[in-house]
Amino acid sequence: MTGEPGQPSPLDADHAAFIQGGVSVIVASRNAELVADVVRGCGCRVSRDRRQVTVLVEPSRAGTLLDDVVANGMVAVVFSRPSTHRTIQLKGTDARIVKVTPADRAVAARHLAAWIEELGSIGYANEFAGALRGRAEHLAAIRFTPSAAFQQTPGPGAGQRLEP
Amino acid sequence: MPLSLQSLRPCFEGAVPAVIATCARDGTPNVSYISEVHFVDAQHVALSFQFFSKTRQNVLENPRATVVVVQPDTGAQYRLAVRYLRTEDSGPLFECMRAKLAGIASHAGMTGVFKLRGSDVYRVESVSEVYGTTLEAPPAPEVDVTTLRACMARLSGANDLASLIDALLDVLEDPIGIVHAMVLMYDPVGERLYTVASRGYAESGVGAELHLGEGLIGTAAEARIPIRISHATSEFGYGRAMREDAESHGLTAGLEARIPFPGLPQSQSQIAVPILAEQRLIGVLFAESEATGRFGYDEEDGFMVLASHVGAIASLLEDEAVSTAGEYAQPQRASAAPQGAPLRVRRYLENDSIFVGEDYLIKGVAGAILWRLLRAHLEDGRSEHTNRELRLDPAIRLPDVSDNLEARLILLQRRLEERCPALRIEKTGRGRFRFNVLRPLRLAEIPR
Repeated sequence: MTGEPGQPSPLDADHAAFIQGGVSVIVASRNAELVADVVRGCGCRVSRDRRQVTVLVEPSRAGTLLDDVVANGMVAVVFSRPSTHRTIQLKGTDARIVKVTPADRAVAARHLAAWIEELGSIGYANEFAGALRGRAEHLAAIRFTPSAAFQQTPGPGAGQRLEP
Repeated sequence: MPLSLQSLRPCFEGAVPAVIATCARDGTPNVSYISEVHFVDAQHVALSFQFFSKTRQNVLENPRATVVVVQPDTGAQYRLAVRYLRTEDSGPLFECMRAKLAGIASHAGMTGVFKLRGSDVYRVESVSEVYGTTLEAPPAPEVDVTTLRACMARLSGANDLASLIDALLDVLEDPIGIVHAMVLMYDPVGERLYTVASRGYAESGVGAELHLGEGLIGTAAEARIPIRISHATSEFGYGRAMREDAESHGLTAGLEARIPFPGLPQSQSQIAVPILAEQRLIGVLFAESEATGRFGYDEEDGFMVLASHVGAIASLLEDEAVSTAGEYAQPQRASAAPQGAPLRVRRYLENDSIFVGEDYLIKGVAGAILWRLLRAHLEDGRSEHTNRELRLDPAIRLPDVSDNLEARLILLQRRLEERCPALRIEKTGRGRFRFNVLRPLRLAEIPR
């Protein structure tokens, strides 16, 4: 459960597809005083073996988050689909900033389109969905090994750990 | 200039969910959606506590957290640095959040899943805008200070309770533009609210009652707080208000003793604010709309200003009514002799409910007043009455203080206008009125 090499990923193929779809991506870290900061992300990429997750954020929106990640590597990321409320949270202890690749930019562009479609399905205007998500002209990529995953859809099962 | 929490109030309508990031003592961060962030005052917000979650566990051991809220019109986001202070699980804040959460839950298709366990109160230590492109802000609210001032001047011109209540509903309609509204008065003895006037409904519903604590209106009255819902909800709709226990009224089966509550079947937005004189509850002002999100914080402020003005004026008029109603009316014969088929009026002693023909008319104190007027007409041929004589009559059983006699008379007068035009109450001066009977009477009392 610590994300050590050889540990199975807590994500199955369905989870991986879900978090790479038209979902909200909310990324949090914390500083040395244990105060958490949080930002809406611009998409997510899961490695083929599902052991590495890369979330994309817009640095200008991120407050102290990127500094915090560099300092301590602790992250929590919530993925949620507004139309169904299905929600998953991943935690990581080894987060680091990695170089943004063309593939990441393509992921961000696909995420924006999927997000606008998702919010449109529940009645939000495209412009609003776009403003909320941000244009992401500049991107930063945070990569981590999911050390734990939790089901967080509102209801009695919320908080349940997802086992590999 | 630093951002004020006040300027962010549209973010707290629950239209777009907020997020909170917390951190456990061991340094593990956590992020979670919050159903409801409630604006408490310029320094505080309250978050809905529905589940025993990691967020809650974290703030109990480490109170500092970050909340991001979204302006629902512009998409702008704001970061609030907050510190957890306490949890309230009863009282005005809790009730207000409970009602609002029910609306949010209903909007989200989460009725029954979202249940408020507590209101977690946080101090807001700083506010900053998250960088980003935002949409244009919506036009300014309709209830501006100039409009309010004009409304208040019109209310001040009322010389009795009836015209005050009518003026209130008038100004709501024009210039404010709220066309579905009603005023309910509070009966402290029966702990009930009864409708005395309404606008915009097919049936006026005058006389319709609900209990303190029942539905949105009863909750606003009981907790003496304004409550708004931006999306329809079954939990706080009229459903409960309409369910009244007929048995508790001791009525013969088959006799309809309730007046249906007026209301919009497709109501989406609702607001109920208490009308208070000092801390005493006088009544409730209620309005609704088929549009979602019709009543925001600005409308709530406007309603509260109008309602407190109405409360103060009503209280002054009440004192005047009691002190100037000291004369007895001159005995005088009714002007025109009653004509036509006799009007059959029955009174059930059980609860002073009065039926005309087969139709329920009114009950309680207003019923007792009507019976007294009918008897005075038959026995003494008297049509001129004063409020004072009603106050002195032990049979009417008015409470000693704040008897609401004026409100009862408005209720009776309007019920008669709607349901029994052959009987009429006509105001003839301050604390005086004439009771006109246009048809011959046949009275019967049904014992307990």
